[in-house]
Amino acid sequence: MAANFWTSTQRAHWQLTREKIADMRRGLDEEDTNKGLGLAFPLPDHKQLQLYFHHCLQRLARRLQLRQQPLATAETYLKRFYLKVSIRDTNPYLMLSTCVYLACKMEECPQHIRSVVNEARALFQEFIPQDIAKLAECEFHLISELNSYLIVHHPYRTLMEVQGPFALKLSPDEIMAAWSFLNDSYITDLILLYPPHTIAFTAIFLAVFVRPAIHTQANLNASGSTALGMSTAAGAGGSIVQPSVGQNAAVPATSGINPQNPSSARLSQMSEWFAESGVEMEAIIECTQEMISLYDAWETWTDKVCRESVARLIRGRQLS
Amino acid sequence: MEDQIAKASYTPSAAVSAMPLPPYTSKVKVLDKYHIIGFISSGTYGRVYKARSRHPGTTGEFAIKKFKPDKEGEVINYTGISQSACREMALNSELAHENVIHLHEIILEDKCIYMVFEYAEHDLLQIVHHHSHPERRLIPESTIRSILWQLLNGVSYLHQNWVMHRDLKPANIMVTASGEVKIGDLGLARVFWKPLAALFNGDKVVVTIWYRAPELLLGSRHYTAAIDLWAVGCIFAELLALRPIFKGEEAKMDSKKTVPFQRNQMQKIIEILGTPTKERWPSITQLPEYPQMTPFKPYICSLETWYQQVGATNKLGYELLSGLLEFDPVKRLTAQQALEHRYFTEGPKISLNAFEGSFIEYPHRRVSSDDNDIRTSSLPGTKRSGLPDDSLQPRTKRVKAGE
Repeated sequence: MAANFWTSTQRAHWQLTREKIADMRRGLDEEDTNKGLGLAFPLPDHKQLQLYFHHCLQRLARRLQLRQQPLATAETYLKRFYLKVSIRDTNPYLMLSTCVYLACKMEECPQHIRSVVNEARALFQEFIPQDIAKLAECEFHLISELNSYLIVHHPYRTLMEVQGPFALKLSPDEIMAAWSFLNDSYITDLILLYPPHTIAFTAIFLAVFVRPAIHTQANLNASGSTALGMSTAAGAGGSIVQPSVGQNAAVPATSGINPQNPSSARLSQMSEWFAESGVEMEAIIECTQEMISLYDAWETWTDKVCRESVARLIRGRQLS
Repeated sequence: MEDQIAKASYTPSAAVSAMPLPPYTSKVKVLDKYHIIGFISSGTYGRVYKARSRHPGTTGEFAIKKFKPDKEGEVINYTGISQSACREMALNSELAHENVIHLHEIILEDKCIYMVFEYAEHDLLQIVHHHSHPERRLIPESTIRSILWQLLNGVSYLHQNWVMHRDLKPANIMVTASGEVKIGDLGLARVFWKPLAALFNGDKVVVTIWYRAPELLLGSRHYTAAIDLWAVGCIFAELLALRPIFKGEEAKMDSKKTVPFQRNQMQKIIEILGTPTKERWPSITQLPEYPQMTPFKPYICSLETWYQQVGATNKLGYELLSGLLEFDPVKRLTAQQALEHRYFTEGPKISLNAFEGSFIEYPHRRVSSDDNDIRTSSLPGTKRSGLPDDSLQPRTKRVKAGE
């Protein structure tokens, strides 16, 4: 149902196991190999591509001045879509722009199709067809592959809720850190694997126990204002797209997350809260590992290889 | 990785590059799956057809709602799906309740959206019409109680799931041949789990004017699910009176697209419910259009007289009606409170078949079989005949933002 995750289509149809996801991706790769596409258009592995698509989406969202929630919905749509259709059978730039266009309608912040196309063209130039009909056609393809299950439950809501009635006293810095971890979680498969509250608890866990190293360094000035912006924007479906933990780690040789030394009182208070909340610690640990492996991959990641191979794909298959 | 890219930097083989993607085609064809019996009605969104499944195992009838694409001349192009179609697709896929119309499937084919719903033989507009033409005959109380209870049950489910319908009116409330009430048309519905960026910013105008709550008429930006209960109150009144209780004339939007104050509609409400006072509705003074209230001359509430005049006698029904038509949205009954009202709990048990014990034969929905080509684009000027057409009611302008 629309506001109840437990009876949602997300839980019934789009919460998968790691094995299932691996199977689906393997199936698509095999098809590509059989068709000769795999060899003709080699692509970086999906972790690299996920980082790349995330950056593309984020840049487009900033140009359109979107809030975090529609961006998160667009990221989810793109992930779901690429489990069913091979990237090599699509124009990824057109596809991700379509996800943004549809997500904006679903999150009640509609953008005119013309402005989505224009902003996307400003970023991806000739790879986005000028004719709006192309993006609109792509929308049909997207909705059809998603089986019209368009309502997505996000962890941001849990994060905002636990501050209230649960009396989990997170400091503004902790909230901001958790929020940033949530933004980064959309680069991973977490939204396809876990209920939103598990992802939210992971972000809180990371924020309290392993705070981003960068937070104490370059970003101190910025943090005050963004945290403030977030609390005011929270009621309006999330803040304007913000930098993430990984991006803040632009400081060389810093991993995205570093262990913190919270006071022992704080530690026991938090442990108690986690115990009482009844969350499965096992799931949180799995999510944490996923996040750590993301930051590992991020450290060496550059967009060049992805950009070039996607360009070669679109040109080679005349997809634009 | 670098290695792999380097190896592949030769020009892709001709065989592969010569296979650009084919255009989008649907895996499912509407005519392969359904036999179209005929045309039911048309509206701003497109057209509705009655259909049967071609699949031997699938029995029953369906109403296929075809959303028309925008046309540029004779050529139909993809233009982006309207926001109301998006909402309806998403919400109907997500919701499942016996009093909300069931969506069977969605087919996206040839630039059109086909939403396949369960078929309902009647709707409240048609039922009210049947009781008022040719002569006025009251709807049996058992039918009204059952319809209202089921309607509230559906609204309660929507609200529990944080969905506001925002366009409840007799034409949108279906009744099946077996007397089950089904709420339809979620094209204006939206999720309100948090008061999102001022609801006002999205659709400037919601709810067909006769069913529009006073807080909306007074320009409230953060309205609540209580607007649906006002509409339910208006529908209840219409089932009793067999005509709309507040039949105002809509003031049209001016060229600047500013929403005008609906003075005439407010006048109709005040004539029956009395002039709202600060004592009765404390927050009224904070509403943007409150200054518009000063010129109205004071009226006292005459709802009880109205209730007797239309021929209703049940005291509890009057109590429920006045609880739903409460000016202050905070004091207005919620769907859950209304369901627990003595109007339902006292007296004979509510039947889940609105027609139980009634011998009235309602006419079947008119289906015109000379127009059953679902594939052709909609022809202008084809309207539901023999019934007061939906389009004759003052229809709210929907802001088509998604296009």
